[in-house]
Amino acid sequence: MKRRELFVGTSGNTCVQGVRTCGTADLIPNVALRTHDDVPVRFYDDLVKGRQVVINMMYATCEGLCPAVTSRLVEVHRALAPRMGRDLFMYSITLKPNEDGPAALRAFADMHGALLPGWTFLTGDAFDIDTLRFALFRHNHIKFDLDPNFHAGQLRIINDSINRWVHVTPLASKATVLQHISWADPPKSYEQRMQDNRALQDEIGREVAKYGYRKVI
Amino acid sequence: MARILRGSGKRSGVRKDLGVPGGLDRRSVLKAGGLLGAAAILTSNKAAFAQTSGGPTPPVLCGIDPPTSPATTPFRDTLPVPPPAWPVLLSPLPTEAANISGGEAARANHQRWAQFLPLLHYRMNAAPSLHRHHSDLLPSYMWTFNGQYPAPTPLNFYGVPSIVRFKNNLPEGAQNTTFGVPEITVHLHNGHTASESDGFAQDFFLPPLFKDNHYANAYAGIDDFGGIGDPREAMHTFWFHDHRAAFTANNNYLGLNGMYIVYDAKDPGHELATSGSLRLPGYYGITDIPLILTDKRFCAAANGRNEVFQVIGNGAPGGDKWVVNGKIQPRLTVRRRKYRFRVLNTGPAKAWTLSLIRPDGTQAPITVVAVDANFTVSPFVLSNTPLNVQVAMRFDIIIDFAAFPAGTSVYLKEATAQNVGVVVPDPAIGLPIGNVLMRFDVVNREPWFPADTPAIPGTLIAMPDPIVPDASFQWEFTLVGGQFLINGLPFDHNRVDHVVLKGSSEEWTLANDVAAGNWNHPVHIHFEEGRIMSRRVRVSQNPDVFQNLPLLPEELGRRDVYPLPPQNRVVLRMRFRDFVGRYLIHCHNMNHEDDFMMARWDIVETVEELARRRQEIDQRRMLAGLPPQYKHGGLV
Repeated sequence: MKRRELFVGTSGNTCVQGVRTCGTADLIPNVALRTHDDVPVRFYDDLVKGRQVVINMMYATCEGLCPAVTSRLVEVHRALAPRMGRDLFMYSITLKPNEDGPAALRAFADMHGALLPGWTFLTGDAFDIDTLRFALFRHNHIKFDLDPNFHAGQLRIINDSINRWVHVTPLASKATVLQHISWADPPKSYEQRMQDNRALQDEIGREVAKYGYRKVI
Repeated sequence: MARILRGSGKRSGVRKDLGVPGGLDRRSVLKAGGLLGAAAILTSNKAAFAQTSGGPTPPVLCGIDPPTSPATTPFRDTLPVPPPAWPVLLSPLPTEAANISGGEAARANHQRWAQFLPLLHYRMNAAPSLHRHHSDLLPSYMWTFNGQYPAPTPLNFYGVPSIVRFKNNLPEGAQNTTFGVPEITVHLHNGHTASESDGFAQDFFLPPLFKDNHYANAYAGIDDFGGIGDPREAMHTFWFHDHRAAFTANNNYLGLNGMYIVYDAKDPGHELATSGSLRLPGYYGITDIPLILTDKRFCAAANGRNEVFQVIGNGAPGGDKWVVNGKIQPRLTVRRRKYRFRVLNTGPAKAWTLSLIRPDGTQAPITVVAVDANFTVSPFVLSNTPLNVQVAMRFDIIIDFAAFPAGTSVYLKEATAQNVGVVVPDPAIGLPIGNVLMRFDVVNREPWFPADTPAIPGTLIAMPDPIVPDASFQWEFTLVGGQFLINGLPFDHNRVDHVVLKGSSEEWTLANDVAAGNWNHPVHIHFEEGRIMSRRVRVSQNPDVFQNLPLLPEELGRRDVYPLPPQNRVVLRMRFRDFVGRYLIHCHNMNHEDDFMMARWDIVETVEELARRRQEIDQRRMLAGLPPQYKHGGLV
């Protein structure tokens, strides 16, 4: 980042053409939230800006999808552990902020083995959370958007630095979830992508020789 | 490369543009530029990679709330026609195996390459460009093929195989401020195409790679009929579009699509009395005109642009301007004779309900001759019902403008109104201006204009032989926990949900079991055309009580998009001939498709492989606590 940009706000009306984060900042509400450690944060400025993040909605007493989703996220965290808290972050936002204070979220995270580096559980004002939920997960279908449970089965992956939004259901296979997260990875260098392309070609060649066509990859 | 070489003294600037470590600098270009062979090719690719930061300035988004598009004066612009794509001689020449060192994306070898050596080459360069949707609007930033929206139209002939080289020069990283994803895989809808050229959703490739899609331009039934297959399987009106998993709506909304036409003796691309010709209106762009439909929403003017409002999240906000061939409410001067229009809905989600309206407000007839690229056995006339065009469907229609006096105008009406923004009296009785998609201005035929074609033949084609299925299978479309699913699962390109044997036929049932949902799913099946056998709808709370529905005229022939309204079941039969590999079935509402209402199914070569693969599926289902999908060791 250039030194000058440090002093230029990127939210509100200070958008300047060519400053790419303007658009993303507009799309992601910068609401005030509290973490499971009771630390006040701003959602966009402190948690999303310039980062690759994985976001889901849950609540502590949820017995439907939430435990399965959380356990899948624990697996995902394990697979990506070296990146977590460095260039990749996970956020679980409660759908019931009036019930889930920081302590309740901390207990939920602890129970699911989810007190892990780079993974933050979040609560806040109910209106702000709804605003966030709509901004991140809406289907543009009133029947489904007004039912918070419909947003419990989704993961939103954002890489703010490259303006990439991806979504996937956490109930897909672990490999699929990991792959979707990788779709928001920063662009690879020319050399890296040429190398990847060649490696993929070698893999395809082996598959076709074995099965007669591309079976797995 | 020239651009970089000229940029003397801007070495650091080039590095910054790349935005990647280990990027290109001037000295390495100069050094590599002196080399020959593969190294030189690589360098030119690398230079092109650097240039992806060129082109129009990236757009600035206009927020999250859908804006009301600016006003546009009706009928200010004439209807543009996408120009025919120029054949080129590709360099490096296309090869059977992927030309990795030349910059081609990884793929399996082209199937039937030697049998269908491509004689016709086209290049489609995906890159940003500015497009003006209306003279009252400033240009919009789009992603287009060859700088044009809609893309130029490749005109092809059965028996003349082609290669279309899709090159990815889209901007990425900091240069991409759109919600498009600069990774593309292009599907020719609904080509009888080998898997490696079929634009499988996972086979997307990054800049600066290219991919050669090999189109045999042969009829289905190559193995059975020899030569170029069964001519009764002829299809004519195709379209190509990006199929990137999870981002198809975004990339298509930005403009990555176009039409692709294949001619044969019946439909030769001219109107002369040649052997076997149906002599339908047939001069491309003159009497045979694509009508490529989409809806768009525009931001207020800023930075010299009216940017298209970006698709965000799970649902496109929906447009409030109706766009035909890239223009809003255009007009077309037509002579008093028959014209053929190839109506195509490129989505992402809107369905069109069209009718032709006379100045007195009454509906004028249109004659449908082809549905989803397939001629119907007999033409059918819509005189008091509209033409329903769901996403990805094509209807070839004939309008006889001799029925209208010179100097009058007739209107193509869309059932839902767009936002026009200027007050205009109703152009026809009971026809508000917002419902007008476009206007036809009727004039007398000048002597130089082609004379009218003969009457439309009463019989256009003979149908291929009936399909006798070897097995049956059901695809259930549902929504659980906010996730669209097929057979209970979201799309996973690594997971195969059904396997069929090359050369076999099956009866498939499509079931819309979305509880409480009012969605219609236009289901598309890649690879071959199907024949609808029956349609029924659930009519009571008892989930097993259905009522048969009569098939509509457009459902009697061959199709590749099957409308699946709520609680409907459609039974269809299709064949799987000539090629093997990975194929897709999906809802073609691109928002649903991107939400992974899509499944992979495979065609395999041998019975042994079929049994093995089906057993793998059933083992996976068993582990998930589900009943088996197949009987008799996977053979049925």
